[in-house]
Amino acid sequence: MASISFKNVTKMYEGAKTAVVPNLNLEIADKEFIILVGPSGCGKSTTLRMIAGLETITSGELYIGDRLVNNIPPKDRDIAMVFQNYALYPHMTVYNNIAFGLQLRKVDKAEIDRRVHEAAKILDLDHLLQRKPKQLSGGQRQRVALGRAMVRDPAVFLLDEPLSNLDAKLRTSMRSEITRLHRRLDTTFVYVTHDQTEAMTMGDRIVVMKDGIIQQYDTPQVLYDTPDNLFVAGFIGSPQMNFLDAQIEEKGGKLYAVVEGEGTSRILIPDAKVNALKPYVGKTVILGVRPEHFMADEKLTADNGLRVKVDFRELLGAEYNLYVFSGENKVIVKMPSTEKLPEGEEITIAVNTPLMHFFDKETEKAIVH
Amino acid sequence: MKMKKSSTVILTIVAIVIAVYTLFPFFLVLLNSTKKATDIVANPVSFAGSSISQLMENINKVVTNSNFNFWAAFGTSAVITVVSLALLALFGGMAAWVICRNKTKWSTVIYMTFIASMIIPFQVVMLALISTFRDVGNFIGIKMLQSIPGIVFAYCGFGGAMTVFILTGFIKGIPYELEEAAAIDGCSPEGTFFRIIFPLLKPVITTVTILNGMWIWNDYLLPSLMLGQNGPVKTLPVAVQAFVGSYVKQWDLILTAALLAILPMIILFIFAQKQIINGMVEGAIK
Repeated sequence: MASISFKNVTKMYEGAKTAVVPNLNLEIADKEFIILVGPSGCGKSTTLRMIAGLETITSGELYIGDRLVNNIPPKDRDIAMVFQNYALYPHMTVYNNIAFGLQLRKVDKAEIDRRVHEAAKILDLDHLLQRKPKQLSGGQRQRVALGRAMVRDPAVFLLDEPLSNLDAKLRTSMRSEITRLHRRLDTTFVYVTHDQTEAMTMGDRIVVMKDGIIQQYDTPQVLYDTPDNLFVAGFIGSPQMNFLDAQIEEKGGKLYAVVEGEGTSRILIPDAKVNALKPYVGKTVILGVRPEHFMADEKLTADNGLRVKVDFRELLGAEYNLYVFSGENKVIVKMPSTEKLPEGEEITIAVNTPLMHFFDKETEKAIVH
Repeated sequence: MKMKKSSTVILTIVAIVIAVYTLFPFFLVLLNSTKKATDIVANPVSFAGSSISQLMENINKVVTNSNFNFWAAFGTSAVITVVSLALLALFGGMAAWVICRNKTKWSTVIYMTFIASMIIPFQVVMLALISTFRDVGNFIGIKMLQSIPGIVFAYCGFGGAMTVFILTGFIKGIPYELEEAAAIDGCSPEGTFFRIIFPLLKPVITTVTILNGMWIWNDYLLPSLMLGQNGPVKTLPVAVQAFVGSYVKQWDLILTAALLAILPMIILFIFAQKQIINGMVEGAIK
């Protein structure tokens, strides 16, 4: 069993005034693929390194399975780690890099050989076993790093931004390889990244962190559909969610979100969201609309239009990103490339109102989705 | 284009001048070890009287001279050099690694002490060194003067500063993640040093070994003070003194002995040239 449990864990560096990770509580289930995601300096790598035993824990308790591991050295934690820069031993061949951990554990030679060849076969490294790391490409090195972790058959697999040194194409293919590897090994994976695409596509659940504090911990779908706050809403999704100040107005028993930008846009709030927004009538809230939640011209009605000025567009193939202004706010709109929206002109675009998000302007917490 | 060509010519001339200036003493040793003493005194830069057979005769005289005792001196020099170099590489590597990876106030002080010791000339400490070694030897009951362990210990001290300085610079460039990966793989700190760090130091250890090796092998002053001119243990440069009398200097034998003394270094350089230069370049950029 390799669940991981953080109980009030705090990490503070010597001489620092604030904790990098203050009072972390996190439960990771056995065999789960968890992604720790957040901007640079949010404490995600520190959290991973605490699991590995490469960082000491200032206070609190960390369990791997049923075992309290606060003071257990890395080698006795039954973990394996893949580093961002691969950390392959340059003076050893690929074979010895993969076998090193097993050799130190005095595993039988024949067994080492069997495991190394099995891992090499899975990772398509069998023809490279006698090469040194410097003779390999970035992707091959990354696979060796994965192989080194695999052969140990660890209870927990830790990956610290393993794809960030690869080019975009290789990153996409390695992403699916790692997901496949998780299914094959059927063990707990903890994966650190700052790339939300990796987070969304790979993880069973995602931990979004900021300043060492967990902002939200849930499945990718829940994070995308119902972000808890403005930070998560802005972090998950690409391009990121658009945020506009909107005043809540009540008229004829209905609620409207009024956006002052290129003129005044009055957007009808669907009935399902009305109750949550009633206390905000007369107040300004933050309206969040994802770029993909704008609609084509034919869906435009009198109550769902947002008046904007088109700046320029970015063709992506089947669709394009339209960069528009609503007053001083930049808004990104995803549209099929068949839609012809002229640059430099003012237009009204339709908002998919049931998918609008509202956030409290002061607390930045979600009001309703 | 023209300017580039003329600057190349100037650089080539400068290089030739430096090469001649550097190689001239070696040329004098080589030339005069093929001559008789009378011919050397008559004109040390003349080829008159120079022959291979004379060189062979001189070599034979040097090797068979009972006062000089070539093979014993050669063996002593070899033992002192090899053991000193091995210990310098081992302890220098360990010290540099610890200084690099344990960043504390004290590690910085220790590092600065190493650097500071590099600027103190040997002549300043040499007399105090002898009396200190005598006292330490008496205290611990191990003979520190006129003994191989004593001089090896001294070389480790004098060579340690530069070794640590160069190795520290190199170790800084080794990613720390390698050590973390080793710790996760199951290496102890000692295991990490010997299995991961030490093998990676190979190019830069080659560099410091060459630099220290040339100095230790050729050194005259320290062994003459610590081992003495008439002691039971002599290195090659000290043993050459056997041909220097108060009234007569056997220049033919002195220079032939000097040639034999520098020969191992030249042979080493010829065979390890590529690795030495690689080591120096790699040490410089990492």
